[in-house]
Amino acid sequence: MIKTQNLSKVYRTEEVETTALNAVDVEIKEGEFVSVMGPSGCGKSTLLNVLGMIDSPSSGDYYFMGEEVGRLSERKRSNVRKHNLGFVFQSFNLIDELTVYENVELPMLYTQVPAAERKKQVEELLEGMNIMHRRNHFPQQLSGGQQQRVAVARAIVNRPKLILADEPTGNLDSANGDEVMKILSQLNAQGTTILMVTHSQYCAEFGNRIIRMLDGQVVTENLVKQYL
Amino acid sequence: MWKNQIKITFRNLQKHRAFTFINIAGLAIGVASCLLILLFVGFEWGFDRWNPNAGRVLRPVAEIKFGGNEFKLAVVGSIVGPDIQQAFPEVQAYCRFRQYGSYLVKRDGDGRQNIREDNALTTDSTFFEVFPVSVLEGDARQCLTAPNSIAISRSRAEKYFGTPQMALGQTLVLDNRERRQVTAVFEDLPPQTHFLADFLLAMTGNEEVKNDSPLWASSNNFQTYFLLRPGTDLKTFESKFIAFSKKKINETAQRMLGADISVLEASGQYVRYHLQPLPSIHLYSDLQVELQPNGSIQHVWIFSAIALFVLLIACINFMNLTTARSAHRAKEIGVRKVLGSPKSALIRQFLSESILLAAFAVVLAVAVSALAMPWFADLTNRPLRMPWGSPALWVSLFAGIGIVGLLAGVYPAFVLSAFDPVRTLKGDSGRQSGNARLRSALVVFQFSTSIALIIATALVYNQLNFIQQKKLGFQKDQVLILDDAYGLGDAVPAYKTEVEKLPAVSAVTVSGFLPVPSNRNDQTFSTVREFREDQSVNMQFWRVDDDYLKTIGLEMAQGRFFDPAQFPSDSSAIILNETAARLFGFGQPLGAKVYSLSGQVSGAPKPEDFIELTVVGVVKDFHFSSLRDNISALSMRLGQSTGLLSIRYQAADTRALLTALEEKWKQMAPGQPFRYRFMDDAFARIYATEQRLGKIAGIFALLSVFVSCLGLFGLATYTAERRTKEIGIRKVLGATTPGIIGLLSKDFLKLVLLSLVFASPLSWYFMHKWLENFAYRIPVQWWIFPLAGLIAVGIAFFTVSFQSIRAALANPVRSLRNE
Repeated sequence: MIKTQNLSKVYRTEEVETTALNAVDVEIKEGEFVSVMGPSGCGKSTLLNVLGMIDSPSSGDYYFMGEEVGRLSERKRSNVRKHNLGFVFQSFNLIDELTVYENVELPMLYTQVPAAERKKQVEELLEGMNIMHRRNHFPQQLSGGQQQRVAVARAIVNRPKLILADEPTGNLDSANGDEVMKILSQLNAQGTTILMVTHSQYCAEFGNRIIRMLDGQVVTENLVKQYL
Repeated sequence: MWKNQIKITFRNLQKHRAFTFINIAGLAIGVASCLLILLFVGFEWGFDRWNPNAGRVLRPVAEIKFGGNEFKLAVVGSIVGPDIQQAFPEVQAYCRFRQYGSYLVKRDGDGRQNIREDNALTTDSTFFEVFPVSVLEGDARQCLTAPNSIAISRSRAEKYFGTPQMALGQTLVLDNRERRQVTAVFEDLPPQTHFLADFLLAMTGNEEVKNDSPLWASSNNFQTYFLLRPGTDLKTFESKFIAFSKKKINETAQRMLGADISVLEASGQYVRYHLQPLPSIHLYSDLQVELQPNGSIQHVWIFSAIALFVLLIACINFMNLTTARSAHRAKEIGVRKVLGSPKSALIRQFLSESILLAAFAVVLAVAVSALAMPWFADLTNRPLRMPWGSPALWVSLFAGIGIVGLLAGVYPAFVLSAFDPVRTLKGDSGRQSGNARLRSALVVFQFSTSIALIIATALVYNQLNFIQQKKLGFQKDQVLILDDAYGLGDAVPAYKTEVEKLPAVSAVTVSGFLPVPSNRNDQTFSTVREFREDQSVNMQFWRVDDDYLKTIGLEMAQGRFFDPAQFPSDSSAIILNETAARLFGFGQPLGAKVYSLSGQVSGAPKPEDFIELTVVGVVKDFHFSSLRDNISALSMRLGQSTGLLSIRYQAADTRALLTALEEKWKQMAPGQPFRYRFMDDAFARIYATEQRLGKIAGIFALLSVFVSCLGLFGLATYTAERRTKEIGIRKVLGATTPGIIGLLSKDFLKLVLLSLVFASPLSWYFMHKWLENFAYRIPVQWWIFPLAGLIAVGIAFFTVSFQSIRAALANPVRSLRNE
């Protein structure tokens, strides 16, 4: 599903040049659950952003479902993104002015799903996530766990082929964190490919492969124990 | 998607109420100012355009420089109309007006109850052809052909006779002697007409026209209008007219001065005619003997500019606050982008937000304007109304929503939609929130405008104050003027004697000529018994009585005032003002002789046509016309002029004096209206336009300062918010509260000071231009500039310090914990 060759990302300011990704080659197959680990500043999030097409690489190739997407225009990238990708962030990133229901519905507005269909899908998802009773609440009225469940619901509402999760449990206590990881595992079990950045070895092991990064480079790639 | 965007917009507006209020209130003030002023401007532009002939009606006007005086006249001789129609077949009709002032009007057989009517014109029978108002009763073509016929407006027909039908064929008595038969009733003239007319008296049989000189420019008393045939080219006609007028003036010069016009022109004197299109009379014509005080294109531009500036200031608030506060929207933008929103959709979203906000503001502005309309109509002295039924209003309101929405929203929309989602989702949006330098530039623009308006207001007020305080050469205070003294008929001297006996009264004079708006009459005088241009002076020539000097409070420079009791020869005496004496070139004016024509003379005047007058005194120059003009030559002679009776009094109890005056009036002039005014009021009224300008500039200066401060307040709030952490750290490290207030206020105050630097030269230039309208004016005082700056800095400091103090007093532990 994903293949990169010599993928690099360099940030330049007037005086400083920072290499966030340095000739990264990764490959992720459909149905995989890959965790990315590494110390702060090693380039994990940059990798996630580039693979998630919200940032573009400085050089190298990025193939998504067999197609080179690294050099697409913003408009085309956003088109690929909205039909194929779902995002989950550490800080949830729900829109404060929209209710739970409206937040989850939002991606479908961009993919122009008909209203009736939207309603059905959102309600099903909220039901499944056990937050239906909160559908008319605003994000600030929810607990962190609930907010992240809403964020996950929003990420999967368009049935994306790939979910990109950036420290999805970073702001949650262990109980809520566990719950989110379970949901991700279930999704993966149902066939959704997942790429997750995390600091936590415990969370990483919910996946089936761990990529370790240091200074913008992939240093090791290991299968998780149970898959050895 | 739209629903979702509108929902977000509403929720955003609700959540940040203070900012919503600042934006909507600011925009509403801007839009309401614009709306009111545009209605005024539209009204001014619309003058005489109701006339379907507007495009082919022209008025000849004259510029004359002769005998040391310059005239720009809206009137020409009575002969000009007929001459032109005869010479040019493209002239379909001409119509002349002669204004003889007010009339005392009553119905025939209606006892002695007179009503004073001001709006009367003597006019030709072509009136309704040139000015086609609808004629309700009577025949528009025939109604003014017979002598002693009169056409009256619907409102006067209703006032005197009940209905237009009942008025037709009735008789009105004017000034107790002239009987006129009502031959037509016409619809009241639209308010956008450059003259007022409720009574149209037929010119047929008019003595003045019969006796008027057949020479152009020898007397000028008739406003004249040419109606050209459809399809006539105005430019070609005007050049033909000018050529023709030169020929006619040459005839006059040869007949009256025995010389060619070129001789006159060689000495810098001239008589020139040109034509004014009807629709431009109201805004572009400010001549002597206009039918009504006209509007001023200068004021229309000034008001329009002010409206635009207030609106721009409000739009800038929106731009600045929206971009400054963009951090609050950053997450939403980031999320939307990640979820696949293209940039264009975000631009659309933010534009629709600003348009929605503009729509709220416009609705509010319409309500505010409707409420303020009576006050504004009063301020501008125009019968303005909200034109609810006019499609133009609604179209412009919708256009206004679009324009204001785009103007205010375009910049923020582009800034916000360009946010990098990677950074915003990391919570780093501080450095993306638009260009802070641009924001500062916009604040400088706002304050420059406000300061310029403050400076302009201060100077207008100073000039008006200067006029009020200026030594005028006469004493305008404590003089009562009784109008229509001719209503007393033969009892004028008796009434005067009675009034003189009242203990509060110190002097009384009877003369229609006063140094406030009243009768005017000019005549040419010469030092020899012929009009040689180097010996002639054209000057004001006033009929006064021997009490004039002490009643009006004039001072003699040389010689004495009239005293017929002691000097019976004073009947052939003349008194000049200093300017006249100087123009004649008299080294010793006392005893000098001047000559003038004794009456109408046809053909070249002969020496025996001149009467001789002896100068017995020179009165010190006094301002008898507006301070916009220099004092011109003036002369006085003993004589009857019973229009006005002026009374100098010591005011212990003005009310009692008025009662006594009215009682005596009623005894001596029963049925005649008793009308009075105070000379100082009459004087102030000359500057009504300037006073209005001052008021309007003042009000809009206040509004623009207010709206600018709203914006500044918003920016200060934002800055305090953004720098919370910095303030916390500084406090922990030992900063004092005043130190922090200073830190936060300093940047804004710098901007306001910079604004002063921009505003000063601009306002100096424009106000200098405005003051040039006055022959007597204040210099542009330097101290007004720092004062205006000080006021602006004071207000800005007050606005900003509210937020700064709050931020400075906040507990640093909390602000740091929040981080």
